[in-house]
Amino acid sequence: MADSLFIEMEAAQFTKTGQAACGDDVRFLTVERENRHLAALSDGLGSGVKAHVLANMTTSMAIKFLESNIPTLEAAEIIMDSLPVCEVRKIGYATFSLFDFRLGGRAKITEMGNPGYIHLRGTTEIKPLKDEMVVSAHWPDREVRECEADFRPGDRIIMCSDGVTQAGLGQRRDMKFGWRRSGVMEFAKRRIEADGEISARDLSMAIAREARYIAPGGCKDDISCVVAYLRHPRVMRVLTGPPYYRENDAEYARQALLGDEHTVICGGTSANIIERELGVKVRVSLADIRKSGGLPPVGRIEGIGIATEGILTLSRVLSAIEEMRSPENEPQAVKMILERMIRHDRIEFVIGTKVNESHQDPGIPQELELRRSVIRRMQQALERNYRKEVVVYYY
Amino acid sequence: MEKIKVEICCGTACYLLGAAKLMNIEEELPENLKDKVDIQARTCLGLCERDHLGGAPYVKFNDTEIMGNASVEKVLSRLNQLVEGAEQS
Repeated sequence: MADSLFIEMEAAQFTKTGQAACGDDVRFLTVERENRHLAALSDGLGSGVKAHVLANMTTSMAIKFLESNIPTLEAAEIIMDSLPVCEVRKIGYATFSLFDFRLGGRAKITEMGNPGYIHLRGTTEIKPLKDEMVVSAHWPDREVRECEADFRPGDRIIMCSDGVTQAGLGQRRDMKFGWRRSGVMEFAKRRIEADGEISARDLSMAIAREARYIAPGGCKDDISCVVAYLRHPRVMRVLTGPPYYRENDAEYARQALLGDEHTVICGGTSANIIERELGVKVRVSLADIRKSGGLPPVGRIEGIGIATEGILTLSRVLSAIEEMRSPENEPQAVKMILERMIRHDRIEFVIGTKVNESHQDPGIPQELELRRSVIRRMQQALERNYRKEVVVYYY
Repeated sequence: MEKIKVEICCGTACYLLGAAKLMNIEEELPENLKDKVDIQARTCLGLCERDHLGGAPYVKFNDTEIMGNASVEKVLSRLNQLVEGAEQS
């Protein structure tokens, strides 16, 4: 599996200043059985709640149509026919950009009304293999662009709403027409030049942020940027719980040798096994105790990774993942685990299944969840909410 | 005089049964003990499965002496004894 490919798809958004809801919408879908990865970005007419509804309707329909392989033009017509008509402008309108990729195949990009996508291989722009305009008989003024691209490992595809390409328009003399697609592309190239492995998450955020701050005075329009990045997965391993058979301790401990940034040991007994089998030492600094924030402190094992308490910490991580809470305000152990999970694509749980007798102590006031059920729920939430690939191994 | 090493177990059972409070013991050290003890947190001392030791939370003094069912008061009182003993000898 080490050679397998992973597609990282992320989006960053900013809402137009003064509006309660974002008038753009982004949706992702993984069709597991076909190894297919879909993304939809829509910009609703106008801004605020009305635009939000239009954009939302568009992405939810579009992603469903994509999944069901309905021809794009037909899908576009159904979408345009179903959108409510704006009282002011007498039209029903939302733009869209759709990305459809099957691992090992070509990527299909379909656009209507949005700025043209950007395909980069390193810092070189790649032109589509197929690039066609189709026009609907119902809606002759709407052109749908259908492209096919040779999407290879290491490639990135960037899709934006016009809030990005038109950022700065009318505000900066040097940007008479705004940042433009070419400006976004130059910016992305510079970021990739500085960090050849910049994640989709970081790149989409960098682009959205640049659009947001290109001119003073807040967002003039809703800003959305989607980046898809095809690469070898960044693997992280979480070891938790002692193996059922003690003779498996050595092999279990070897699973922790993935590198400092990629390993988390959750559980005191597990940490003890790692210390014993690998001849290392967990260190907990006073600073870490002070920052622990209501959970046991984080220990560090030089050359191996971090070591936290087990089930209390994991339960808290689980609730943060299920509710998609930001790591910022979490206790230190949870924050560090969440940040690592977000940075990685593939998360491997190595679970020891021995029951910890001491957790059965009737004096323990809280309900302690079973490790396996916490991990099972975590797997579902990581796949659903964060589009991570999750694998579980039992010991 | 060498500092007295105090290791506080922060494993799940210990943490739930009182180690959370023990972790703050450094701030509660009286003047006479302040520079004489070295408080450390340990991810797990691995003692809770040996039920004859008094029950969680566990604290270990100078790598050898184990205190079960530890509380801030018990630890402080044991530290005072250890300091006095060391000063007398």
